[in-house]
Amino acid sequence: MKQKQKYIAIFLFLLPALLLFVGLLIAPIIMSIYYSLFDWNGLRALDPSNDFVGLKNYATLFNQRIQFGSALKNAFILAGLSVFLQLPFSLALALALGKKIKGERAFLSIYFLPVLISTVVIGQLWLKIYNPEYGILNTFLRALGYDGENIRWLGDQSIALGSVFVPTLWQYVGYHMLLLYAGVKGVSPELREAAKLDGCTDWQVNWNVVIPTIKPIIKVSVIFAVTGSLKSFDLIYVLTNGGPMKATEVPSIIMINQLFKANQYGIGSAIAVLLIILCFFFAILIGFIFKERDIYGKK
Amino acid sequence: MKRILAVLLVLAMVFSLAACSKDEDKKPDNNNTNTGNTTTDSGVLDKEITLTLWDIATEGDGNRPAYDKALADLKAKYPKVTITETVTENNAYKTKIKSAMGANELPDIFFTWAGAFLGDFVNAGKVHCLDAELQPWIDNGEMTAAQLGNSTYNGKHYGVPTTYNIVTLFANMDILAKVGYDHIPATMDELNDCCDKLLAQNIIPFGCAGKTDDTWCVTEYLEPIIEKTIGATALKDIMTFGKTWNNQGVASSVDLLQSMIKKGYFDPDGIALGNEEVKQNFMAGKYAFYQNGSWNCGDFSNAEKVKFTVKAGEFPVVDSANGKLGMLIGGPSDTIAVSEGANAAAAAAYAVEFGRLICHYGYLEGSGLPAWKVWGDTSSVKPLVQQVADICAKAVDYVLFGDNAMPADEAAIYLEYVSSVYGGAVSGADFIKGLTSEIR
Amino acid sequence: MEKNNQVNVEQSSLKLDTSKYHVRKTNKGLRVLVFVGLILWAFINLFPIYWMFTFSLKTNEEIFGENVAGLPNEWKWENYDTAFWGKGGRDKKAAGNIDGTEEGGFQLPKIIRQFINSVIITVSTILISIFAAMMATFAMSRIQWKLSKWAYAMFMLGLTIPIHASLLPVYKTISSLGLLNTYTSLILPYSAFSLAMSILICSGFMEDIPKELDEAAYIDGAGLWKTFIKVIVPLMKPALATIGIYTFLQCWNELMFANQFISSGDKMTLPVGVQQLSGQYLTEWGPIGAALVIATFPTLLVYIFFSKKIQDSFIAGAVKG
Repeated sequence: MKQKQKYIAIFLFLLPALLLFVGLLIAPIIMSIYYSLFDWNGLRALDPSNDFVGLKNYATLFNQRIQFGSALKNAFILAGLSVFLQLPFSLALALALGKKIKGERAFLSIYFLPVLISTVVIGQLWLKIYNPEYGILNTFLRALGYDGENIRWLGDQSIALGSVFVPTLWQYVGYHMLLLYAGVKGVSPELREAAKLDGCTDWQVNWNVVIPTIKPIIKVSVIFAVTGSLKSFDLIYVLTNGGPMKATEVPSIIMINQLFKANQYGIGSAIAVLLIILCFFFAILIGFIFKERDIYGKK
Repeated sequence: MKRILAVLLVLAMVFSLAACSKDEDKKPDNNNTNTGNTTTDSGVLDKEITLTLWDIATEGDGNRPAYDKALADLKAKYPKVTITETVTENNAYKTKIKSAMGANELPDIFFTWAGAFLGDFVNAGKVHCLDAELQPWIDNGEMTAAQLGNSTYNGKHYGVPTTYNIVTLFANMDILAKVGYDHIPATMDELNDCCDKLLAQNIIPFGCAGKTDDTWCVTEYLEPIIEKTIGATALKDIMTFGKTWNNQGVASSVDLLQSMIKKGYFDPDGIALGNEEVKQNFMAGKYAFYQNGSWNCGDFSNAEKVKFTVKAGEFPVVDSANGKLGMLIGGPSDTIAVSEGANAAAAAAYAVEFGRLICHYGYLEGSGLPAWKVWGDTSSVKPLVQQVADICAKAVDYVLFGDNAMPADEAAIYLEYVSSVYGGAVSGADFIKGLTSEIR
Repeated sequence: MEKNNQVNVEQSSLKLDTSKYHVRKTNKGLRVLVFVGLILWAFINLFPIYWMFTFSLKTNEEIFGENVAGLPNEWKWENYDTAFWGKGGRDKKAAGNIDGTEEGGFQLPKIIRQFINSVIITVSTILISIFAAMMATFAMSRIQWKLSKWAYAMFMLGLTIPIHASLLPVYKTISSLGLLNTYTSLILPYSAFSLAMSILICSGFMEDIPKELDEAAYIDGAGLWKTFIKVIVPLMKPALATIGIYTFLQCWNELMFANQFISSGDKMTLPVGVQQLSGQYLTEWGPIGAALVIATFPTLLVYIFFSKKIQDSFIAGAVKG
């Protein structure tokens, strides 16, 4: 095959994907980078010479009022919880289901349900669970003998963040579990058998054989968990929209509020750009960490 | 050709009349007498034209019936005009209309809030001036310059007000009777006394939502207090005309609100609730008072859902040196505007009549007070709406809702501070200091 | 990991093997404990469905206080009437529909219309996404060229972009193409945003197709295109379901773009319709619940019937990815 022909073919094969990708993903990113350099409200026509402010929007993000830093911190906390709490829990479920248990399929189906249900429903449900007066949670606590003041799960600055994270983490346990379950089922039975014959307990088999083997999937899970946490928006928006008093703000919430509430299009775009950079950075970083440690390394 | 056209016209009329007859049979003559006396040049609406309309009157919204009736009336009157309506939920609408604005995709006619929200659009040069279309109505006294004030920029009118609303102190009279009140407390002393007595009986006096998206509910309490302390002119100067927030009266009002919260006058759960839930609590008889917009009159008049007597009043005067009864928060905010473009002339002619009809039907339904001169049979107006109308009849001055009056960026900052006030994190002194340094 | 493509085969053999050991080694008390834990977790995950269904049959008073988690005191089936036909139920709508263009004649309930729209948009998105991803993956993994790794990395960038951030730029692009208010206005961005995941999955599956097959085709004189269509595409069938599910998850419930790009009622999607049911200052939540049930029900139905298939392909996608 001639070189020139080959490149034409490559181009043609890539064309549909490239059109979509460049037109609707790359171009908007470039536009966002461009907008992030201006003091612009998104409504009137942009006047490039007058509105240009350079990197000022990025600095503004970290001022006293917007407090992007604390939102970022919240997102990192969520990412941490996601990796060190949600994933191990999902992994435990996957491992438990991975070795023939009665009703394995039924459990699998049920655990995946919350992923399918729209965030509007999940959000409304948790609002009712957390309601200070008649919420299911407080009612339950009172039944257990708690008789203090109503606990305001979403209204108390010190606990709101935790209250918002619980459903966020819960909703996607099923997603990660199914991913990991796939890996667990993929571990070759000979390996397990060999380990068992060596006198390993179930626990040791999981720890020494299964987990190392499914590392590539754990990597994918970790990447999804971290980037997903950094981008998290929907459920927090429904539950608190960042309140009370910024306690539950995450970057995407600030972004939307700056873009469409405060009419600060430049600042909103700056957040978008930072988020993309961060997500990309972490995706690469995680890939790198796993490569370093992956003794069974395949990819 | 003409004959065919005439036949078509009649057919269309018959069809649309038949279509809306069910809603109209209560007041069959409104249709003809009241939309028929228009003085507007309506030639532009006698041609085949399709106009796009965006609004927030969703299925569950109190304004929906008014919109339906207004659309039906105008369809009968201008059979050749086709309206393509897009209804969007309130919060999503703000995003949608702003993006449409940024991308030059505004619909011909759109719902908007007067004040700074529409002001941003006007400044961008994308809203059609309605002076010509409104002038005949001003001349014949159906519309007044005062009602147009909030949608007037640089002396030009850019919006058609529909109904207007004020902050209203709703009281559950059955509960007040338990502590010996047969009227809404008229002075601060009475209010304090009443609240203390309520507390002694384990009844929560006020309900107010504090969730982030519902911070405006807190302003429904704070703004009247400020106004009744420093007076309407001073508050208007700060919120609309850019005077500094550095005002001791504002600080003391914030402190007053916080002291009421500390005394337990407000439901402590409120901070975690949305307005839906708080309103539901009031309707279930949990609170003695609920201070919020007069658009609630319709719902509170629904005997099926509210099983006690509700009365409407205003917040008492805090400092009689400047504050007076009749100084109200609110005014015409719900507005119909027209975008610049090929259809602007027809859209403008349509919008003016449309706004006037929404006002008429909205008033009858209890979703607001009439910004236009009232016409037709108003015997069906709900008593609660009438009470609010009586308050307005004695109005001294109106100050527009703060978050409507201020430009979006300032409003966002203001609301953040208000939310901190409700959460007890910011004192009166901090409030004015912060707003002074961040806004002016 | 080489044998991952035979997940199913392995599962069956695995069952045999492990059962032997369970009997011998696993602590019985622990097993019971684990089982109880699993059941508990199952209830937690089933609760939303139960709650949604009961709340769709309640009044506002019950939903907001009197009776949050219990069965409805009075089963308000008329909430479904409202969700289907608008306020006032079917009778009012039948008597005089005043919301615009259509006069007389039978009209589909809005929510059914919206459901059909959502299906059209989702299915088209899945098809476009699969088609574009397969072609691109073919070019990147079956043809040798220097920058193919870089191209792949670039597409993977798509996984990290927050969809909310690009609303205005994408809106401007769509509007300048004159596509507003068409199905295409949503299909294109949805396809673009699901492309990265689709390529990720595709490349996993394509790696498992032996290169010898291509070479044999070339030797037979087939060109690249013919090889792609005749050899690769038929072998990619297992990937389709997987991509379909991931794409479905991404766009079925999407609200922000759907709300922005489509303004005409006859093209509106289901989530927008559900959101519309809520009013400005007072919302009747019962009908919203009913609409949510209607919106979720088909998904659940499909899921229940095909859960094994869906799980398998999800699993397959994960392992390949």
